[in-house]
Amino acid sequence: MSKDIDKLFKDKFKESKTTAPTEAWPVIQAKLKMRRINRLIYTFSVLGFLGLISFMLFSPQTEKTLSKPLQKNTSLKNEVILKDANVKDVKDVKDVKDVNVNKDKLPVSKPQEDSKKLYATITTKKESKNNTTKFLYKNNTKTSKKTPFFKNKLGYAISEKVVKGRINLLGYSLDSLDYSVKKNLKAERKKRRKKKDSVDDAKFNNEKRRRWNVVPVFGALNSGRFSENVSTLGTLRAVTYPDKYFDDNKSSGLISSTYGFNVVFRATNRISIQTGIFSKELRFLTEDLFLSEFIPDVNPTNIIYNPGVEVRFSNTPEIGGSESASLAQTIVYLEMPFELKYRMFGSLKFNTNIIGGFSFLYLNKNEIRAKTDIFSRSIGRASNVLTTSTTLNIGLDIEYHLSNRLVLNSAVMFKKHYNTYKDYNNEYSPYNVGMHVGIGYKF
Amino acid sequence: MVIFKDIKKFKHKGSFEGWAKRVTVNVALQKFRKKSIIRFDDLEESKIPEEKVFIDIEEKDITLNFLLSLINKLPPQYQLIFNLYVLDEYSHKEISEILDISIGTSKSNLSRARKLLKKEINTMKKLQL
Repeated sequence: MSKDIDKLFKDKFKESKTTAPTEAWPVIQAKLKMRRINRLIYTFSVLGFLGLISFMLFSPQTEKTLSKPLQKNTSLKNEVILKDANVKDVKDVKDVKDVNVNKDKLPVSKPQEDSKKLYATITTKKESKNNTTKFLYKNNTKTSKKTPFFKNKLGYAISEKVVKGRINLLGYSLDSLDYSVKKNLKAERKKRRKKKDSVDDAKFNNEKRRRWNVVPVFGALNSGRFSENVSTLGTLRAVTYPDKYFDDNKSSGLISSTYGFNVVFRATNRISIQTGIFSKELRFLTEDLFLSEFIPDVNPTNIIYNPGVEVRFSNTPEIGGSESASLAQTIVYLEMPFELKYRMFGSLKFNTNIIGGFSFLYLNKNEIRAKTDIFSRSIGRASNVLTTSTTLNIGLDIEYHLSNRLVLNSAVMFKKHYNTYKDYNNEYSPYNVGMHVGIGYKF
Repeated sequence: MVIFKDIKKFKHKGSFEGWAKRVTVNVALQKFRKKSIIRFDDLEESKIPEEKVFIDIEEKDITLNFLLSLINKLPPQYQLIFNLYVLDEYSHKEISEILDISIGTSKSNLSRARKLLKKEINTMKKLQL
């Protein structure tokens, strides 16, 4: 069957023509119209703003002209004289003016003079309803009506009505400007937030292959207790002075270290899960103690002394003389945290996350040292420290992307310990505040 | 991209679809002019045969890809005029204005394009048989 070659091509192309849904075009057109309207609003806002600026530029000049000291105002003088004379006639007014005002001696120009006259008359009008002032007011209004707007601005004459009208107009302009600016700002912020979220989502989708991050971490931490009591030494009475309690000796935390590595899995654009393994050290120092000679069967503290140690801690000096000492307690845990990280805000380079979670702790080292001016020696261990305990963790984490793969992590963590001691409730359990730093590798 | 960039220039006269199509064609033509120096075969208008070219083939025997490959094989000047006239449905007058050539040149190039296409389709038919 013979066929026109043009038709053959046309038909074949029509068959495979993919067209946008018919409803798409009106939608696009409507959106374009909206954009046009928004642009108009924006233009009017700018024009309004410019109008306001120009008004403000001109207005002070007028005010300045109007608010010059009235003592020098010849018109006011006229008016005072007019009041006194109780003049009722136009002619009279002119006469008085002619008599009292020597124009050559006046330092002000004519426009200034006129505006001063107006100001004076308006003020006087408010104060009294003198016929003469009324006349003057009318006279000036008449003048201002004849004067073009720009001349008014230059200070030739301004009527009260015009001023009020302009103030009202300015008020409306300000209101509408304020409204439109606020509306535009709100819309713009919303748009930016949406755009940023979509960019973040896209970035996350692109980086899906690099969801894992391993971060070797080193940190320094300081420990403390909310309670001032000394948990290690117990609450029993001292041997030599039974009225003295070991509780009286305060203990304080010392700077210690932590190291290990974190494994972070980025579950969504905002949420990551992290775990890892750490070695964490807690150190406390109890001062104002004494080392006394060994007294068999008397050990009021929670210390298990090493075999062969012939001294005991006491909080009072012995009569024969005791050596003053400090007790340094070191507890090292193996820590396994389980934490959630939530990305609050960030950019391509920086991210800020809040961290919340808990850790399991396993006791790895438990040591008590006696420190004097001469020596520092391990003398035993605390008997009241539990082998396993937990902490509740919260913190703030900052990530800086050094490259596509390398991330610098820095976190400030607060950890509260629970179930640390056998014979104390959690009030005595320590807390620690630490700063962790590490460089992670994403894969 | 040009549509997005120049969307401000859309004056809301006529449909957006039509405007978008016109922009697309113009941009394609601009690119074409920049990339290649096209020499159109000039012919006097009197010598131009305004004839249709017919081909003996079943439409179902030909795929769109094949037709596309045929168009791509055409010399650029034939390809351009064939596309504008047949697929975009511009008249010879419009084509002459767009490409700044005479109506006769447009017609002659179209005629040659048709003949070349017919030749290619016939060759294909023979090969299939």
